[in-house]
Amino acid sequence: MDFLRPSTWDEALAAKAAHPDAVPIAGGTDVMVELNFDRRRPPALLDLTRVAPLTEWGTDGDLLRVGAGVSYRRIIEELGSRLPGLAMASRTVGSPQIRNRGTVGGNLGSASPAGDAHPPLLAAGALVELASVRGVRRVPVDGFFRGPKRSVLEPDELIAGFLVRPGGAQQFAKVGTRNAMVIAVCSFALSLSLETRSVGTGIGSAAPTPLRATEAEEFLSRELDWEARGPVPPSVAQRFGELVAAAASPIDDVRGTAAYRSHALSVLARRTLAWAWKGFREVGP
Amino acid sequence: MTTHAKTPVDPAPSVPVGGAVGRPVDRRDGHAKVTGAARFSAEHHYPDLTYATMVHATIARGTITAIDTAAAVAVPGVVAVLTHLNAPRIRPVRKGNIVRDLGPSVSGTEVNYLNTDQVFWDGQPIAVVVAQTSVAANEAAPLVTVTYREQQARVDFAAEQHNATPAKGDLTFAGTKKKGDAEAALATAQVSVDLRYTTPGLQHNTIEPHATIAVWSGDHLTVHDTTQSTDASHKYLAWRFGVPAAQVRVRAEFVGGAFGGKFAVWPGTVIAAMAAKAVGRPVRLALSRKAVSRAAGGRTASTNRIALGATRDGRLTALIQDSITHVGSVGGLLEATSSPARHLYGAKNMLTRQNLVEMDLLPNTWLRAPGEAIGSFVLESAMDELAYELAMDPIDLRMRNEPATDPTSGKKFSQRMLREAFEAGAERFGWADRNPSPRSMRDGEWLVGMGAATAYHPVLRLVADVKVRLSNDGTALVQCGFHEMGMAAATVQAQIAADALGIAYEKVRVEYGDSDLPPGPMAGNSNQTATVATSVLAACAELTRKVTALARKTGTTGQEPAATLRAAHTPFLEASVGSTSRLGSLRSQGRFLATFLKDQRWSKAARGAQFCEVRVNADTGELRISRWLGMFDVGHIINPKTAASQLRGSIVMGIGMAMSEQTLVDPRNGRTMSAGLDSYYLPVHADIPPIDVAWLNEPDKSMPLGIIGLGEVGMTGVAAAIANAVYHATGRRIRDLPISLDKTL
Amino acid sequence: MRLNCTVNGEARQADDVWAGESLLYVLRERLGLPGSKNACEQGECGSCTVYMDGTPVCACLVAAGQAEGRDVVTVEGIADGPVQQAFLAAGAVQCGFCTPGLVVAVHDLLARDSAPTDPEIREALAGNLCRCTGYEKILDAVRLAVQR
Repeated sequence: MDFLRPSTWDEALAAKAAHPDAVPIAGGTDVMVELNFDRRRPPALLDLTRVAPLTEWGTDGDLLRVGAGVSYRRIIEELGSRLPGLAMASRTVGSPQIRNRGTVGGNLGSASPAGDAHPPLLAAGALVELASVRGVRRVPVDGFFRGPKRSVLEPDELIAGFLVRPGGAQQFAKVGTRNAMVIAVCSFALSLSLETRSVGTGIGSAAPTPLRATEAEEFLSRELDWEARGPVPPSVAQRFGELVAAAASPIDDVRGTAAYRSHALSVLARRTLAWAWKGFREVGP
Repeated sequence: MTTHAKTPVDPAPSVPVGGAVGRPVDRRDGHAKVTGAARFSAEHHYPDLTYATMVHATIARGTITAIDTAAAVAVPGVVAVLTHLNAPRIRPVRKGNIVRDLGPSVSGTEVNYLNTDQVFWDGQPIAVVVAQTSVAANEAAPLVTVTYREQQARVDFAAEQHNATPAKGDLTFAGTKKKGDAEAALATAQVSVDLRYTTPGLQHNTIEPHATIAVWSGDHLTVHDTTQSTDASHKYLAWRFGVPAAQVRVRAEFVGGAFGGKFAVWPGTVIAAMAAKAVGRPVRLALSRKAVSRAAGGRTASTNRIALGATRDGRLTALIQDSITHVGSVGGLLEATSSPARHLYGAKNMLTRQNLVEMDLLPNTWLRAPGEAIGSFVLESAMDELAYELAMDPIDLRMRNEPATDPTSGKKFSQRMLREAFEAGAERFGWADRNPSPRSMRDGEWLVGMGAATAYHPVLRLVADVKVRLSNDGTALVQCGFHEMGMAAATVQAQIAADALGIAYEKVRVEYGDSDLPPGPMAGNSNQTATVATSVLAACAELTRKVTALARKTGTTGQEPAATLRAAHTPFLEASVGSTSRLGSLRSQGRFLATFLKDQRWSKAARGAQFCEVRVNADTGELRISRWLGMFDVGHIINPKTAASQLRGSIVMGIGMAMSEQTLVDPRNGRTMSAGLDSYYLPVHADIPPIDVAWLNEPDKSMPLGIIGLGEVGMTGVAAAIANAVYHATGRRIRDLPISLDKTL
Repeated sequence: MRLNCTVNGEARQADDVWAGESLLYVLRERLGLPGSKNACEQGECGSCTVYMDGTPVCACLVAAGQAEGRDVVTVEGIADGPVQQAFLAAGAVQCGFCTPGLVVAVHDLLARDSAPTDPEIREALAGNLCRCTGYEKILDAVRLAVQR
C-alpha cells in the first residue's frame, strides 16, 4: 500500500488522477476503521491533512465556502453563528476526540445515510464542490447522494469543500439510544429564511440516503406567516411533521422500528420548527 | 416510613474507623495504571516474539472439506499457518471432578481446536497465522480459503425454544425446585399475574480484549494471559499439552476487566500455546474486539414465564418461574435464572424450572451475576406488576413476603437485612414523594417515574492457599495466586493482613496473579475477597502464634513483631495455609469441602434495594436515568472506596443491560453482528447520573471478618428498577430488554 | 516507509512502517510505548487517546503517515501531576485499561477549562468508555484535580 502525501491542492488532484483507486484520508474516522478491521486494503492512501486550503473557510460572493478538511470542532468553534444548524449537528458527532479529527468532507465522502452533517447541509441548500484535474464542479447536496454510501463523486475527484448561504434560522435534532457517541436513530434539520421566505429540510437515518422533504418545505413556506411572524398554528406544525415523516422511507433495524422513525421524525420536525420560529419572533430578521 | 436501620455508611468516610480494615485506602496498582506503566498480558516483551491471528469459521455447523493456506503462507513475514491438518496434537478436554480441580469446568468449549475438521459455531477458530508482525498476520489470515460441507444449524433462539428440555442442574443448583402445588395455587389465587419476559444475549466487552503470550522453554510453558483463573487455567493447559502442571505457569498481574468473560480458557489461549510450540518461538495472540465476539462466550438470551398468585392483602400463594436459556453444542453454562425466585420471597407454593436448548452457537459463559442478572429482572418486574394489581406499594408487597427462613431450602439466613435496606433506601431516596399512579409525574415534556427492585446474589466461598512471611525489617509478604481485574483485591488483602499481623498497612506487600504462587481461587461468583481472607487470616493467626512464642522466649513480649525477630536473630517467619504437594492438594480439597459444607448450613447472600428515577420523553420515547440509589446489605466493608466503585460499576452494567446492550445474532447464519463497540452500545459517561451507593455495614457473622462478596450484587435488580420506573413514568410495561426508544411510546 | 515524529519530547524514527498502520500501532509495537491501549480500533472507546500537535485524538484513527513530523504526547509523556493523583485519590481507577486514555482526555479538558461544570465533564469524557468504575469517581477525579 502506498501512502501519498500531497502538500498542495494541485498535487492532491494530480495524485488522485494518477491513482483513482487511492482512498482519500483526512480525519481517518471512517477510513482507519476499515483498515483496522481489514475490511479493505486499498492500493494507496491519499493523505489530505497537509493540503492547507482544505482546512480554510471564507466567503465566496455571498456564499460561505468551507474547506472539506475543516474539523467538526472548528465548525462548532468558528462557524457556530454562521452555520448554526451544522454546528448543532457537529456537536452530536462522536466524541471530542472524533470531532477534533473528523471533517464534513469526510462525512460527505462516506455518504452514510446516518451522516450527521448531511441533514443541515440539505436544509441549507448547500453546494458540494468537487474537483479533479479536469476542473471544478459544484453539485447541489440533494443531488450528491446516490445510495447508501454512494455519491456522484467520480474516481478522479476529491471533495474540495461546500458552499452555503449563511443566515436564517437553523435547527438540528437527533434521537439516539445514548446521550453521546450516538449514531442517529433518525435526525432532522430545518432552515428558515425570512429573506427568501423559504424553508429547507434534511432527514437523516430514515432512507437509503439523506434527503429533503420537499413537499413539507413547500407546504410550510406557503403556510408560515412570514409578514407578521405570527404564531405557527398547531395544525400547520402537525401537517408539516406528517409531510416530513411521509418523505422518509425508513426501515426496521436494531436501533429502531420504521414506525418509530416516522413518528420521531414528525416530532423532530415540529420541535425544530417551534425553536426556529421562536427565534425569529424574538430576535427579528 | 419508620427506619430501624443502622446509619448507612457513606463510601468515603472522612474519619477512619481505625486500623487498615474499613479505611478507604487508595488502590495499590493505581500509580502504574495512571502513568501507563502497567503491563497487561499483550504487552510483555520477548526478543523473538511472533504474532498470531486466528481464522474463524464462516459456517455455524459442518465439516471442513478443504483448507487452502498457500496464499497466506506466501505473505512476506508469515512464519506458519496452522490448521487441523498440520497443528500440533493436543489432548481432548478432560471430563472430571469440579471439586478436585476446576480444570474441566474452566474449558470454555469442548472443541479440540485445530485438531478437528468439525465446525460447531460461526466464528470457531479453524486456523492460525503466525508471522513476524501482526500486520503480516492480519493480512494473511483472510487469505486462508476454506471449503465446508455445511449442515443444518440451530442458530435462531426464538425458533429453537420448542426444543428446550428440563435442565439437570448440579451440586449447587438444581434444575427444578418444587414446593406444594404452585399451578393449582395460581389458579385459585385471589389476585395473580402470569407474564412472559425475554432478555437478549449480552457480551462482557471488557475494555481489554482477550490476549495471550505463550512461551515454551523445552517442556515448560509460560503464558501471559487475560485470565481470572490462573490456577485452573494452568492445570487445564497442562492437561491439554500433556505436561505436568508444575511446568505450566500462567501469569496475569494486570487484567483489564473480566466480569466472568476471562474465567474459561477460550480458544485463543490454547491456540497461542499450540502455535508457540509449532514455531518454536514465543507467540502473541491478541484478539481484536471482533475476534473476541467470535471466540469468547457471553451471556445467554432467555425467555421466562413468571406467574405470581397472592391473597388480596399481598401474601404470595404461588410463585412459578419457567426459564429457557441456551447452551452451545460443545459447552456452555446453565444460567441460573431462577436463583432470585428461589430465595427472595416466602411463597407457599413454588415451582421454578430451568430449561435448556442446545444451539450451534459459541457456548455461553459466566457474565457478572449469571442467573441473578436475568432472574432479578424477571422476578422484580413481576413483583411490581403484582403490586399494581393489588394497588399496593411495591416495596410494601416485598416486605409482606419477607420469609423467616430460606423459602426453598428452609435454612436459616446467616444474615438478612433486606427490610432495613429498603427502609433506609426509601428514606434516603425520597420514595414517599412518589405519586404511585402511572404517568402522574411530569417535568415539561419529560414523564418522570420512580422504580425499585431487590438486589440479590448468593455467597460462595472457595479455597485458597496462602503464604505469609514476616521479616525482621518489619515488612510482610502475602503470596496467593488470586486475581486483580480491577476490584482492588491486593489492596483489600493487604489491609486485612496488616491488621491481622498488627503492622502498618504500608509494610505489607502482596503477590498475586501467578500460578506459581500458592493457588488462589478463581475470581468469580463474588467469592474471592472472602475466600482469600479466610486463608490470610488463618496464616496470619499462625504467624502471630509463632511470633508470640518467640517473644516469650526472647523476652520481647509487647514489642513489635519485627523487634522479636531481630532479638531472636531470625530473618523471617513464615506461615502457610495449604500446599501444592499431593498431600497438600488433598488437604485443600478437604478444606474446601469443610468450608462448603459449613457455608451450606446457612442461606447466605448479598442483598440490596435499588431505587431509580427515570425520565421518558413523552414525544420521542428517549429514556434517561436521572437518579440512582443502591442501598446494600453486603456485610462488613473492608475498603469503602473500592467497594463503592465495584457497586457503582456493577449498577452501570445493569443500566447497560436495561437500556442498550444486546448481542445481535443473525438468525439466518448464527453470526454475531454486535462484534464492535459501534454496534454493542455500552453506557457512556454522559448517560450516567450521580449514583448514590450506601450499605448497612453489618458483618455477616458466619463469614471471615463479616465479609460478603459484592462484585455482582450491584448489577442485580437494576434492569427491573428501570423497567418499573418506566412503567411508573409512562404506563407501559417493558417485558423485553433492552428498553429501546420505540418500546416506551 | 520511514516515519519521523516527536514522541513525548523526543525525536523518534520508525522504519518499514506499513502505510495502513495506525499511529497507535506505531506507538505500541514500534516505539515501545504500550501505555496507550488498543481496545476497539474504531474510535469508540477512547483508550488510545493521545495528543497530536496538542489536540487529543484517537491514535487508532490516525494513519501512521499522518503523524509524520507531528508532535505526539502519550500517557507516558504527561508529567505525573494533579490529574493522575486525583484519579488515585478519587478511586477513579479500577482495571486500568481505559485509564491512560482518560488521563490524557482529562489533562486536555483541564488545560482548556480550569473549572468545567459537571455536564461539561460528562460531555468531554463521553468518548472514553469505562466498564468498571461506573464513571462517578472519574467525575470526582476531575473535580478533585480542579481543586488542586
